[in-house]
Amino acid sequence: MRRARGTLLIWAFLAPSLTIFLLYRILPLLWNAALSVQTWSPFRPSKFAGLIHYEELLFHDEVFWTSLWNTVVFMSSSPIAIALALGLALLVDTRIRGRGVYRAIIFLSYPLMTVAVGIIWRWLYDEKVGLLNYVLLSLHLTQRRIAFLDSYEWAMPSVVVAAVWQIVGFFMVILLAGLQNIPPNLQEAAALDGASGVQRFRHITLPLLRPAIFLCLMIGIINSFTSFDLIYVMTGGGPNYATEVLITYIYRVAFVLSKFDYAAALTVVLFLFLLVLTWLANRVAGGEAGAVDAAE
Amino acid sequence: MRRTLTRIVIGLLALGLLTGPVAAQPKTLSLLTWNIPIYKEKIEGWIADFKKIHPDVTVEWFDKKGPEWGPFYQTQVVAGTAPDIIDTQGAIWLDYASNGGLVDLTPHLQRDAAVKDYYNPKFLQTWVYEGKNYMVPFYVSKTLLFYNKGMLKEAGIARPPQTFDELLDAARKMTKGEKSGFMTLNFDWLYWPLLAMNGVELLTPDLKKAAFNTPAAVKTVDALAKATADGTINKVAWTGRWVEPNNAFASGTVGLYQAHAPAFFYVRGGGPWINGDTLGATQMPGGFATPNSHGLGISKSSKHPELAWEFIKLATNEKWAYTFGKNFKLFTGTRVDGRLMDELQKEDPLAASVMKTQLEQVDKLVATWPLGKDAQVKEAFYSEFQAAVLGRKPAAAALAEAERKVNRLLAR
Repeated sequence: MRRARGTLLIWAFLAPSLTIFLLYRILPLLWNAALSVQTWSPFRPSKFAGLIHYEELLFHDEVFWTSLWNTVVFMSSSPIAIALALGLALLVDTRIRGRGVYRAIIFLSYPLMTVAVGIIWRWLYDEKVGLLNYVLLSLHLTQRRIAFLDSYEWAMPSVVVAAVWQIVGFFMVILLAGLQNIPPNLQEAAALDGASGVQRFRHITLPLLRPAIFLCLMIGIINSFTSFDLIYVMTGGGPNYATEVLITYIYRVAFVLSKFDYAAALTVVLFLFLLVLTWLANRVAGGEAGAVDAAE
Repeated sequence: MRRTLTRIVIGLLALGLLTGPVAAQPKTLSLLTWNIPIYKEKIEGWIADFKKIHPDVTVEWFDKKGPEWGPFYQTQVVAGTAPDIIDTQGAIWLDYASNGGLVDLTPHLQRDAAVKDYYNPKFLQTWVYEGKNYMVPFYVSKTLLFYNKGMLKEAGIARPPQTFDELLDAARKMTKGEKSGFMTLNFDWLYWPLLAMNGVELLTPDLKKAAFNTPAAVKTVDALAKATADGTINKVAWTGRWVEPNNAFASGTVGLYQAHAPAFFYVRGGGPWINGDTLGATQMPGGFATPNSHGLGISKSSKHPELAWEFIKLATNEKWAYTFGKNFKLFTGTRVDGRLMDELQKEDPLAASVMKTQLEQVDKLVATWPLGKDAQVKEAFYSEFQAAVLGRKPAAAALAEAERKVNRLLAR
């Protein structure tokens, strides 16, 4: 009886969040999956269509493959940002004067609204009045202005730089917390044993930072899949799909081309892709990612 | 028991008769406009005028910026709360009309012959799908050719170009250093006059197949690609949206600029060099122009389509069309435009010289295909066209691929 009451209480506490989760996550997900096998528009009733949209995207839609590839390329900004953040974390973890100020300055880019970040970088990259072109021309590093966001070659790297700039401060904070959790006596003992700085970094710091690095990697990967606003503001997915990632393509298909059913199929693919990545990440983490220790 | 029940029923009926008919349900009309929050005061004027005639009707007004407009309307349609009256830009209406989302206004126009005659027939025709009129003009515009007189003079060019070859020749002569000769807006088929003036048709007359993959089209696209590669055409022409090309022309470094009339006001605001002596406006060679107008229509789900039609008539009547045209220095696709033009000539001769192009050669409107899949065809064509003009693909290969894509779309 007492156990049943306990179970009831647990469910009662869980009910509000479970209801919200069901209404805002599970039901839309199921509705989306159902929509992906129908033909539907806001103006017409739906009709079962089987796997026609999946066939279209797998075998006939080049833009889907381009955007999938671009998503993978965009994901590469995570390792870059992590490496950069690690360097910065190591720097501000030393006993330099004003390190608190440096930490704050580096972190400042993160709380900025992504739309604002996009607009700032768009101006920086501007071909005519952008600061970057001005600096490059002034230093004679280039003879002609570079259309960073309007050229195939530069558009994606330019967006990646902006994405790295925004996230690096956040990663730095995570890694800094990880660094400060490493017991100093380990470093001291290794130093006494004659280990060099590089050896200490390789054999003590890096292995003990693994959970923090893994967390950054996960956040980075998820971010790159959902980073709609930055790309939408900076390039709109152009030029000619050079920066089109899956999430911007889904938006375009749904709201510009009014193909909601097809967008639903693309969303299912995105979901499956994320599922596989999460599973892989979980495996890499030893199958225990997200596990919570049961309190005795 | 039965007697008691009968008494209660009779009593209720008597009460009903004594208190009169149940008060009528309040009627509400909703209006969705496209990025004119600045016009709030006047739209409240429409509503006030409407309420004088229909005091029992409440009108709710929403305004959304361009990129938000489509998602907002579509989600409202799905939610079953689509605004009754909508103001759409360009060819967006085609998607809604072809999917049965808009009220056919043809019977209303036939019934109100005077109202139909009041609208400019050439512009009214641009909102016809499968013989039915789905929108009426709210404000109209089409593309034209702006030219920087100083750059033309400096290059020794006496008059604006009259043919495609002249256009590219003139542009080439004006190109040097930071300066480029030509640029165009590219959204909503606004670049199509460049192909139309070379005799390129997008589709066959029955709209069932692509017709653009011709030697003339390949030659045209190839010429555009070469001109883009050597800097004669500013790359922003193919990659920029609205702000970027306008800013480039406003900076005074572009000789010829194909854009729609509203761009003038933005460009003038950002270009201190612009005045009557330095800026010219004319038709594109051949007089071809792509319309980019705003129309008013009624959502199919409207509970009060008759009232919505009354509201549209009021919002576009002489008083309010004139007020709108005067306020924004734009034309309204109605009989009022002549008067607006006369007044503009006195008040703002430069704007008048630009706006004059909007009332001329309205029989040369192109890219007005009544195609339900307009947005998809546009995307399929432009992605390949863009790849060609930016030098990513040879023109012939790009057009062949575009043809395959467009035919596949039309066949589905």
